[in-house]
Amino acid sequence: MHPLVEVKNVGLVYHEPHAETQALKNLNMTVNEGEFVAIIGPSGCGKTSLLSLLSGFIKPSEGEVLIRGKSIDETDASKSQIGYMLQHDHLLDWRTIEGNVLLGLQVKHMLTPETHEYALELLNRYGLYEFRNHYPRQLSGGMRQKAALIRTLAFSPCLLLLDEPFSSLDYLTRLKLGDEVYKIIKSEGKTAILVTHDIAEAISMANRIYVFTQRPASVRSEYNIELNKDNGALATRNLPGFKEYFDTLWKELDHEQTKNRAE
Amino acid sequence: MSKRKIALNEYSQEHLLYLESIKRKKLLISILRYALFIIFIALWEVLARFNIIDPFIFSSPSRVIQTTINLYNGGELFMHIGVTLAETVLGFLLGTLAGTSIAIILWWSETIQRVLDPYLVVLNALPKIALGPIIIVWIGAGMNSIIVMALLISLIVTIMTVLSGFMEENAQKQMLMKTLGASKWQIFSLVVLPASVPTIVSALKISVGMSWVGVIVGEYLVSKAGLGYLIVYGGQVFKLDLVMTSIAIISVLAALMYFGVSWLEKALINWRSHSKG
Ligand SMILES: Nc1ncnc2c1ncn2[C@@H]1O[C@H](COP(=O)(O)OP(=O)(O)OP(=O)(O)O)[C@@H](O)[C@H]1O
Ligand SMILES: [Mg+2]
Repeated sequence: MHPLVEVKNVGLVYHEPHAETQALKNLNMTVNEGEFVAIIGPSGCGKTSLLSLLSGFIKPSEGEVLIRGKSIDETDASKSQIGYMLQHDHLLDWRTIEGNVLLGLQVKHMLTPETHEYALELLNRYGLYEFRNHYPRQLSGGMRQKAALIRTLAFSPCLLLLDEPFSSLDYLTRLKLGDEVYKIIKSEGKTAILVTHDIAEAISMANRIYVFTQRPASVRSEYNIELNKDNGALATRNLPGFKEYFDTLWKELDHEQTKNRAE
Repeated sequence: MSKRKIALNEYSQEHLLYLESIKRKKLLISILRYALFIIFIALWEVLARFNIIDPFIFSSPSRVIQTTINLYNGGELFMHIGVTLAETVLGFLLGTLAGTSIAIILWWSETIQRVLDPYLVVLNALPKIALGPIIIVWIGAGMNSIIVMALLISLIVTIMTVLSGFMEENAQKQMLMKTLGASKWQIFSLVVLPASVPTIVSALKISVGMSWVGVIVGEYLVSKAGLGYLIVYGGQVFKLDLVMTSIAIISVLAALMYFGVSWLEKALINWRSHSKG
């Protein structure tokens, strides 16, 4: 059995006319089927770049990225079963919620009566069915982000990549939606990788956390979060032990962030 | 819908007064609009009747109507209108079609876009009318030359406006499409094109006007029929009634075409909301 995701000694360099940026260096990580992994790290260290690599639309300069033991460029991007959720929902404002949710299926030429039905079922299951004929501007920020998640789930991805999906929301919505998204991902049995700046969010959702170094990013440390998450992400925040994780991770991140300034 | 009606009854007295004042203002504006037109026509007529302005040079509304009737009785009216309208519509459609297609090609290939950029800038700055005599020599004195004039005059503006619409802000949405594994064609047809509908329509509105300029100038230069021809002919034989009549007809037609484009705008926006690709 291969792990779902293997990142092996990956390096990534961006070339621009006036600069060469090393975003990732000697990065190693694995994610197993069914895991919820969070990544935290200093801003600009290369987290988004890693997700871009995993989703296959940029190639590593060194090393390899394997999905179920297979190199990512062997799989055709349009057929790829990786769902990527961005910071903003990017719902197309001329399409209804239903039309937006079907976008991924349509792009992948997977739109059949069955998959259509499944998308509607997801809308129904997660409380957006009544809004299927609404346009995005008629929905609140949290609902829009949820619609974006359903757009990602509709084509049944085996891996979900979440890049700060809640950072554009207000604090309360953010907590609630985080809880809801966590439950959705768990009840759909998906494997997920979450990039976030919010340590508490990472602890409340993930069973494992990678702390990245400053750019070029590699793994600084890795933590297993042994908290009972059966009651969802929000409830986790009140568990004994939560604060210890928080303090530890906060120190880790703080050390990493101030590392160069001290020199 | 019904919810809204109930709400109307629940509005406060103050709000109802506010709504009333908006309505009144709207009515006032339409009344003033019509009044301005009627006063202008009446003043023109009266001044000409009492010879305060020379009706031979300035014509008058009644003379314009008489001239229109004469043209109609002579069987020429619709012939001239038809010729000019056909040239304008063809020039407009071809210009828009060619302009949009070229804009698509330029969006598709950054290399071509960068190669052609300085040429577009120069062509845009060049008064296309300067090309008139060359076009006539190359294509021949006739309707084709006039259509080409109308096409050329709207082409570059269309390319530049539509292309700028394609290039706008869509970067983030294109990123989304890439995360879904979309091909370039899918990015174009599902995101870039529908997102640019408003820009394309504003390009249409500009090029309708441009096509009229192209056609009338073209008719000045070569034609034997059409409203532009009537204007030149009327000017040469000093029949200012004929000139004024043609201008009046052109105004009406141009306005109608503009409304046509506005209608098209609504239809396109509608299409965008209802197409699922
Ligand atoms: N397409 C690109 N071309 C050139 N450089 C890039 C590109 N994308 C990212 N970079 C650079 O690579 C580095 C890492 O960027 P990345 O967006 O992956 O970081 P991040 O950890 O996601 O940052 P943030 O915390 O701000 O989201 C940055 O220095 C960035 O400027
Ligand atoms: Mg980022």
